[in-house]
Amino acid sequence: MRNIRIYFAKKGRLKFVSHLDMTRFMARIITKSKIPIWYTEGFNQHIYMNFALPLSLGYEGLYEIMDFRLVDDKYSIEECLEALKKVSPHDIEFLKIRETFAPMKEIAFAEYVLDFETLNEETASKLSDFLKRESIICSKKGKKGKIREIDIAPKIKSFDFENNNLTLILTAGNENTLNPSLVLDAFFADSKITPIFYTVKRTMVFNEKLEVFE
Amino acid sequence: MEIKELEKLLLSVQKPGRYSGGEINSVIKDKSKIDVRFAFCFPDTYEIGMSHLGMKILYSQFNKREDIWCERVFAPWLDFEDVMRENNIPLFALESRDPIKDFDFIGFTLQYEMSYTNMLNMLDLAGVPLRSSDRKDLSSLVVAGGPCVCNPEPIADFVDLFFLGEGEEVDLEVIDLYKEYKKAGKTKQEFLIAASKIEGVYVPSLYDVSYNDDGSIKAVTPLHNAPKTIRKRIIKDMDKSFYPESFVVPFIEIVHDRAVQEIFRGCIRGCRFCQAGFIYRPVREKSVDTINRQAKCLCENTGYDEISLSSLSTSDYSGIEPLLNKLLEWTDDNHVSLALPSLRIDNFSDELLDKIKHIRKNGLTFAPEAGTQRLRDVINKNVTEEEILSTCKTAFLGGYTSVKLYFMLGLPTETDEDLKGIADLGQKIVNMYYDMPERPKGKSVSVSISVSTFVPKPFTPFQFEPQITEAEMRRRQEYLKSCITTKKISLSYHDSSTSFLEGAFARGDRRLCNVLENAYKNGCKFDSWSECFNLEKWLDAFEKSGLTAEYFANKEYSYSEILAWDHLDYAVSKNFLINENKKAKEAKTTQNCREKCAGCGANCYGEGVCFEKH
Repeated sequence: MRNIRIYFAKKGRLKFVSHLDMTRFMARIITKSKIPIWYTEGFNQHIYMNFALPLSLGYEGLYEIMDFRLVDDKYSIEECLEALKKVSPHDIEFLKIRETFAPMKEIAFAEYVLDFETLNEETASKLSDFLKRESIICSKKGKKGKIREIDIAPKIKSFDFENNNLTLILTAGNENTLNPSLVLDAFFADSKITPIFYTVKRTMVFNEKLEVFE
Repeated sequence: MEIKELEKLLLSVQKPGRYSGGEINSVIKDKSKIDVRFAFCFPDTYEIGMSHLGMKILYSQFNKREDIWCERVFAPWLDFEDVMRENNIPLFALESRDPIKDFDFIGFTLQYEMSYTNMLNMLDLAGVPLRSSDRKDLSSLVVAGGPCVCNPEPIADFVDLFFLGEGEEVDLEVIDLYKEYKKAGKTKQEFLIAASKIEGVYVPSLYDVSYNDDGSIKAVTPLHNAPKTIRKRIIKDMDKSFYPESFVVPFIEIVHDRAVQEIFRGCIRGCRFCQAGFIYRPVREKSVDTINRQAKCLCENTGYDEISLSSLSTSDYSGIEPLLNKLLEWTDDNHVSLALPSLRIDNFSDELLDKIKHIRKNGLTFAPEAGTQRLRDVINKNVTEEEILSTCKTAFLGGYTSVKLYFMLGLPTETDEDLKGIADLGQKIVNMYYDMPERPKGKSVSVSISVSTFVPKPFTPFQFEPQITEAEMRRRQEYLKSCITTKKISLSYHDSSTSFLEGAFARGDRRLCNVLENAYKNGCKFDSWSECFNLEKWLDAFEKSGLTAEYFANKEYSYSEILAWDHLDYAVSKNFLINENKKAKEAKTTQNCREKCAGCGANCYGEGVCFEKH
């Protein structure tokens, strides 16, 4: 049995696929591809898959990561990548495959590009000031439905504006994931600016040293 | 429509995956190389429509042709419809996202009467005039098929052309004719007249219907040399018929989220209330090898880990045991599980039960349909109480503890005694369970009784019978409820007003087109969804049209009266149906097709069970 990591982009029409639906979708792609996949053992056997970071409905991801296992020791991973590419619909793109990789727990940051429908200079500068604050308290619904107050300022590693785009690097993984929508919701609520529509792309995942996570 | 704009709007609605398209195996083609664009519309939500096998078959078959691009369209749910109307988004096809208004064909599959308003709503959302007579050009032809089309009169004013029976051949013949007429610059009328000569094509505008003073039909007169009767089409050789090698695999979970393998068409049984049992005759089976090959191919191409066998009565498949053995040879190893729906109990052997048990353990479902032997004989459901009890016993011994029973309320000749019989049968099953020393230890039994309301349907021996009134339906439901005295039995039943309306539309005539349009204008849609159904709006629509629903639902037809669907030929003769109706009233049963031919007329195709050697 070999541990394999595959990297893929989820774009276009696939951004309307929720994480739960994505797991079912991947299982079907894998079955279709006929790669020698490893099934969990036990009463209810299923394909073993482990996603690095779930992606919110409506977001595109250009550097998505999923681990699985192969049962055939001789099967080449290049062949595996080709087999998956061959059966994939248009809006999913398998990028690369690796057999040696860092453990998932080393994920520390993710980079998001927010593309605003319109962003005038005034709003941009207000947003910039907001992101520089030492403390940004906002309320977040916990897993058990409890609303708790958290400070998200320490979770914002960096930000950068370019035209209508805002690039954010936020903490990720280890139960420390900050969703960019939470940052923007807090900003719109605080500044009393009518929310502007934006799309989100997760473009990269990094480790603690801000190196590309592989 | 700007893709970006659409995607923004999709993010504001529930389950955007219903409208996104781009699923595994969905077909994208180059528009410039296409002659005919076909919008295949299912007038209900994505989750329901995507589960429909007929659509999967025709979608694949049409798209095999290089000159046709067939795309899927479903009824948008209420939230997205609001968004569409607010933003002037016309109804679009999922694959290309192009408005369907400009397509050559807008085809609907009509599986239940309660979806008619959705058809009108979809036409309106598309920006297409509702009435056939308001669509002048030879383009965006509105066509329809499916079981409801066996009495298409209540929607005759909206649809240009109906496909009667199975669509695999006739649909393509019509598409080819369209291509030819379009190229030659012919008119819509010229095309429709020519199409009406194709067997299985019914063009309602070529028939004039006149009425007697009492509201009954006086005559149906064909115009422009259209045929006097229109015979449905069937596929004669099921082993050679087209079957998809793959299905579009949805992203979101749908109702039947699995590979579906058809094993035969038609049903040998002839239960007298069952429309499917008559309109799909004669029974035609696929061979074990064909089924096995197609099933395996489907699983490989879809990635589904579950496959179900589909037919009207799977245990009547003549090769069921060899088939199950053959399928089990590869399903387990490929992590595919097998699901077997609609199993009848009277030929449910221990051996077969054993095999199913090996496959999957969920509840057992039986359909005795009526509570007493007398009434079961009336409806020709040839199942005895002993058979039901002995099958339940076998099931309990095999470790099952829950049984689901389906019944019908309001069947012709039904009395309170028959209703009490339903409760009694449930009680007998409960008692038997507790009398069994070898019953599963420490487990309670649960019997669920589900009761629907009888709706008389065209092309059944009960097509002449009145439906009981809505008030009587409620009284009988209450009475049945009062007969059940144990908590081990749970009772559920259908909404009576939906059944009542279904009764009116199932046997209605052309005058209902106005009612339907009025109901649509009153805001009726998604009528099969209890949260949307509104009987008041419907009754108002009837009133505005000067008609009553009672007239159609509660009417008893004489054998000699002209029925709205008499000019359609579904291969079972009216004389046969009359005969069966008479036998029903005498509580006399009819043997199934394999035991003895009852002479229904379906042997006219020269194929199927009628010519099987026994």
